[in-house]
Amino acid sequence: MSLYEIRDMAIEIDGKRLVEGVNITVEAGKCTAIIGASGSGKSLSCLTPFGLTPGEALGSIKLDGIELTRADAHQMHKARSQLTGFVFQQPLTALTPHLTIGAQLQEAAAQAGPPRLSRHELAQKLERVGLLRADERLDQFPHRLSGGERQRVMIAAAIAHRPKLLVADEPTSALDASLRGEIMALLDELRAEQGLAMLLVSHDLASVEGHSDDLIVMDQGWVVESGSTADIISNPQQDYTRRLMAATPRLTEPAPALPLVGERLMETEAVTVTFPRPGWRRGKIDAVVDASLNVAEGEAVAIVGGSGSGKSTLGRAIAGIGPLTSGTISWQGDILPERRARSLSMRRLIQPVFQDPVASLDPQWKVCDIVAEPLKNLRPDLLRADRDRIVENALNDVELSAAYLERFPTSLSGGQAQRVAIARAIIANPQLLVLDEATSALDPLVGSSILNLLAKLQQSNRLSILFITHDIASARRLCHRIVVLDEGRIVEMGDMAAVIDNPNADTTKRLIAAS
Amino acid sequence: MTAIPTLLVIILASFFLMRLAPGGPFDGERPLPPETQAALQTAYGLDKPLWEQAWLYISRLVQGDFGPSLVYRDFTVSELVAQGLPISLTLGGLAIILALLIGISAGLFAAVRAGQAADKTIMMLATVATALPTFVTGPALALLLGLWLGWLPVSGTGEGWSWLIMPVVALALPVSGAIAKLTRAGLATVLKQDHIRTARARGLPETKILFKHGLRPALVPVASYLGPAAAGLLTGAVVVETVFGLPGLGRYFVQGALNRDYPLVLGVVTLYAALIILFNLFADLIYGWLDPRMREG
Repeated sequence: MSLYEIRDMAIEIDGKRLVEGVNITVEAGKCTAIIGASGSGKSLSCLTPFGLTPGEALGSIKLDGIELTRADAHQMHKARSQLTGFVFQQPLTALTPHLTIGAQLQEAAAQAGPPRLSRHELAQKLERVGLLRADERLDQFPHRLSGGERQRVMIAAAIAHRPKLLVADEPTSALDASLRGEIMALLDELRAEQGLAMLLVSHDLASVEGHSDDLIVMDQGWVVESGSTADIISNPQQDYTRRLMAATPRLTEPAPALPLVGERLMETEAVTVTFPRPGWRRGKIDAVVDASLNVAEGEAVAIVGGSGSGKSTLGRAIAGIGPLTSGTISWQGDILPERRARSLSMRRLIQPVFQDPVASLDPQWKVCDIVAEPLKNLRPDLLRADRDRIVENALNDVELSAAYLERFPTSLSGGQAQRVAIARAIIANPQLLVLDEATSALDPLVGSSILNLLAKLQQSNRLSILFITHDIASARRLCHRIVVLDEGRIVEMGDMAAVIDNPNADTTKRLIAAS
Repeated sequence: MTAIPTLLVIILASFFLMRLAPGGPFDGERPLPPETQAALQTAYGLDKPLWEQAWLYISRLVQGDFGPSLVYRDFTVSELVAQGLPISLTLGGLAIILALLIGISAGLFAAVRAGQAADKTIMMLATVATALPTFVTGPALALLLGLWLGWLPVSGTGEGWSWLIMPVVALALPVSGAIAKLTRAGLATVLKQDHIRTARARGLPETKILFKHGLRPALVPVASYLGPAAAGLLTGAVVVETVFGLPGLGRYFVQGALNRDYPLVLGVVTLYAALIILFNLFADLIYGWLDPRMREG
């Protein structure tokens, strides 16, 4: 008998059936992965049996002999606290902000029952998941740790009570590419060492390939395909699986045909951005140091780096929406002044698009007003009728129908919201788009459709693009050149294909290995 | 660090505003002879230029001297304050403790029953409690519990501690309503957050999730309300002390203002301002405990 066995599961929320006909088997020491686009019901399928969503699970769900669909409070308590450990997607918010790492780890370990662990034992648990200076960490609050460190703490807490099953709900989606690889390797190691069964949910193929034994592909609440991971990846049977795989950018795919590059448009000269260090200690943080780069007409340049490398700060400085401590940004040879001193026509030139599409749209505004806003500010001379026509054209350009004009951002999916954000960016006819992780928060299918849209705009509008990302494979689909940033400094710069074939800097090698 | 300049601005503003009001401390019903008036003015330094008086007042204040009372001629302001302050502090202190107890428990109770009848009833009562001014609840309590039922003394300090009940309740009621609403709203936000799901996944009992993982971050809005609440309690105390005939600071404040007893009013204002500033500093410390993320700017 398998450790965890789900037969014919359906999930309902308020009487509405969202998931149907799901069968999952996880053996001790093995990993079963569920993969699918957002809204496919994959997270729901793995958390609902434990009562961690508003949904209700029907069917048969057996964990180590306990039937979860009919479990009483005592059995459910045992299932959650002794048999299972959980790792969630957002390491930023999944830890309690006002409890120290040590207190949370102690609480997690206490699920197995007494005795309380000594400080030394707690520190050992943190060391096991690869945290440095473990003893010091015990007294720290979660916000002092980086995203990768927090996810390691989450994992240490999830296995502190030696569970038999580890449920990992998108454990790497919020992390950058090189951290993603490290965390997956750690999970593999712990699984082998402790004989853990693991149920892994992911939207990204890279985390699943080579890390799971069995694979379940879900779409809109249904299981599309299931079987051994190696078989499915080498020989997908269903069209949806093939599309999902094709949507995931890979370095092995053929190089795309990119549009021709024109004259040099934008150039930065020794751009430096420093921030005052928080807290009482005086000092400053060098977020970006001496960054010099340029973009030509119709050219896309990738700014690539891990979290905290300064890539977003550099992008914001170029777009004129963030601080610039020293250095210059020039346009066709003329130095652009700081944002407030830029004329309307200068402001029009560079437009930004951000990572979280829903958060970057005002929830109180209709789509038509959101898209029209830059026009109102940058082209006050336009008549209302003309403006409406331009707004409609812009939506058309991002492949949204006029039916979206009257909708509010909350009723849009992530991909639709990002299209609206792009429409807002292109409506004033800019020449350079600064895209800050514009596809990172989206699932692969949606992300790849946005990449295609950008490629189309790049062709048709002769747009130049600065593509800020941690994912080299995505960047390769769009960009002519690559700039690699590490700790605020440019460590490598050059032609995309040349850098990928022959990387020099360690950071570049690491990022390429992670893609 | 801004506490001292803030206090100074408050003192100077009250000093000059009070002098703008017509009348003076020696304008009785029967006018004093001009010579006596002049002699009194000179004796208390009221004939000096206004800015010089302000300077003198502040330099004495720094040495802890609040000056003499102009109306209660045999007492200094410090002596009067020493009589009234303990009563006012007891009233205010007990009221804020009671308000926190009632408010947080009511908010908790309502939050875990979000959307149910109990939640709606409690929130309605909280609105009523916030809206009712102390000059309505005070006399109403006195009428009900004091006059009709005869359970509690209606006025004065009397024996034991039973005289405290009604004034403290009347003072605490509006504050507790506001705290209940803030707690309820704070918990509603926090209980939806990811770290609560993590705690639940750990198999913790619901009460432990609520108290250990949920309550502290949920109380952040309550902490920001403590400063204004302290100010509300102090002004409320003026009414309550008058209604229940208690010899606290509030009574001196009102009488001092009516009599143009400049040093007395200034002394009470300084004290009130210092208390409120102290309370705000205290609230800042609580923030850091409730949510360690706020310790860094």
